[in-house]
Amino acid sequence: MSKGVLFIDSLTVRYDHRVAISKISIKLDLGKFHVIMGPNGGGKTTLIRAIVGLVPYEGKIEIDGLNMKKYLKKHPIGYLAQRGAQFQSFPLTVLQVVEMGRYHFKESKAVRKKHARQYLNEVKMDSLANRSIGELSGGQQQRVLIARALATESKLMIMDEPLTGMDPRSQSKFYEMIERIKERYSLTIIISSHDVGFTTAYAENVFCINKHLVPHDEAAKLLNDPEIKKIYGSKIRLVEHHHLPSEEKEDV
Amino acid sequence: MFDFLSLPFMQRALLGGEMVAVVAGIVSPILLFRKMSFMSVGISHGAFAGIALGILIGISPMWTAIAFAMGLGLLIGFVSKTGKLSEDATIGTFFAFSMALGIFLIDMSKGYHPDVMGYLFGDLLAISSSDVYFAMIILIIAALWYLFRGRAAIYSTFDEDFSRIVGIPVDIDYYVFMAVASLVTVVAVMFVGVILASSIMIAPAAASKMISKRFSNVTLLSISFGMLAVFGGIAFSFYTNIPSGPSVVFFVTAIFVISLGIKWSKNFVKS
Repeated sequence: MSKGVLFIDSLTVRYDHRVAISKISIKLDLGKFHVIMGPNGGGKTTLIRAIVGLVPYEGKIEIDGLNMKKYLKKHPIGYLAQRGAQFQSFPLTVLQVVEMGRYHFKESKAVRKKHARQYLNEVKMDSLANRSIGELSGGQQQRVLIARALATESKLMIMDEPLTGMDPRSQSKFYEMIERIKERYSLTIIISSHDVGFTTAYAENVFCINKHLVPHDEAAKLLNDPEIKKIYGSKIRLVEHHHLPSEEKEDV
Repeated sequence: MFDFLSLPFMQRALLGGEMVAVVAGIVSPILLFRKMSFMSVGISHGAFAGIALGILIGISPMWTAIAFAMGLGLLIGFVSKTGKLSEDATIGTFFAFSMALGIFLIDMSKGYHPDVMGYLFGDLLAISSSDVYFAMIILIIAALWYLFRGRAAIYSTFDEDFSRIVGIPVDIDYYVFMAVASLVTVVAVMFVGVILASSIMIAPAAASKMISKRFSNVTLLSISFGMLAVFGGIAFSFYTNIPSGPSVVFFVTAIFVISLGIKWSKNFVKS
């Protein structure tokens, strides 16, 4: 029983007898910004789906000393899946999508809409509340899904490859927004990414999986690890990165 | 102009037909957005095997049709969920079998062989009061489902994983929906026949999907288009003396084509 951490012990996930991840054990401090790195097919998505309760697993996951499966029955997690094409033609408004995050609350329709608007405002998307979700750009859809995750009022937000398809500038803005939200709502953020440069510039803790846990440590130290070089190649280097000036944060 | 409405059999046809349009309009948008439109084809053919069994063993074909359709609907759902096969592949496997079984069972029944064409293409003008009551019961079931599980069904159609996370019982809802959709398909089969049921089940929703951007509007339009097609089809059938089932399908297809035209013109204006 470990308070104040997300504790994963000997986590193994199999798909039809094929081992996707094997015996992963790790402790992640709550209230921090963690990044799961690793190559494509390394098991990042599987690990995330196990944490949020979407795939069966062997081993133990605990959050703040509570069994994760029991925790999830009372506390939905703010989860963003890898972006798919399902939103292209679905006739839901942006506001209705955010309302999904309030499903487990017993509240009136009016209160539900009020909360949904509040979280849309948080990601600066309230002006598009009545637009169809399919009409939005990929980046805008991503922000709506962050508002939906916030609407669950979960203290844990987990995002699977949220930066896919974003240019460097959009990635930078995205991280700035996540940092702001994290501070405002005292969140624990876990993001998966196979991008090394930006990730290491923003994350407080980075760990790498390639079927099994490689090392985990502060971002800068991680890059010098021989195992990481083996996965990503020997030319891996830390990209110098400067946060956006404050006036550019406004349109994040 | 509407003098046909004074005839009792026309009143029954209209009342029953409109109820079928309403129940089909309630469930079909979910079928459509789940890419399960083909399911109504599979289940209606399953209902045919049930009808044939009812004839063979001498009980009301309606009950055996319900049993077969629901059984097939849940089987399709189960195989799709657990067998890693798409719904379409599963339906494609089972529906031809159901049809073959239906023909086999009818052939086995001794003595009088009922008109198979009647079951395949239906006859709205020949429906009885008990058929109307049956449609009413299905209407109540479908309305209750929409009232209590409609929002959850829309959510899990849009994003199944997130729906699970916020506590929607996605798997139970899926099977409940399959059962309700099977019942709705059976009532459509009883009124417009095995072959035409899928048209009344899917075309109104497909037409409304093309011209509406809100799920609630898709459902309302789907119901309205179905009701309009039933009214137009029955009236046209009465005045031209053509079979009522195909007449309704002509109207529903015309509505679909008009919606397609509206969508194309909108896209043309935009570009």
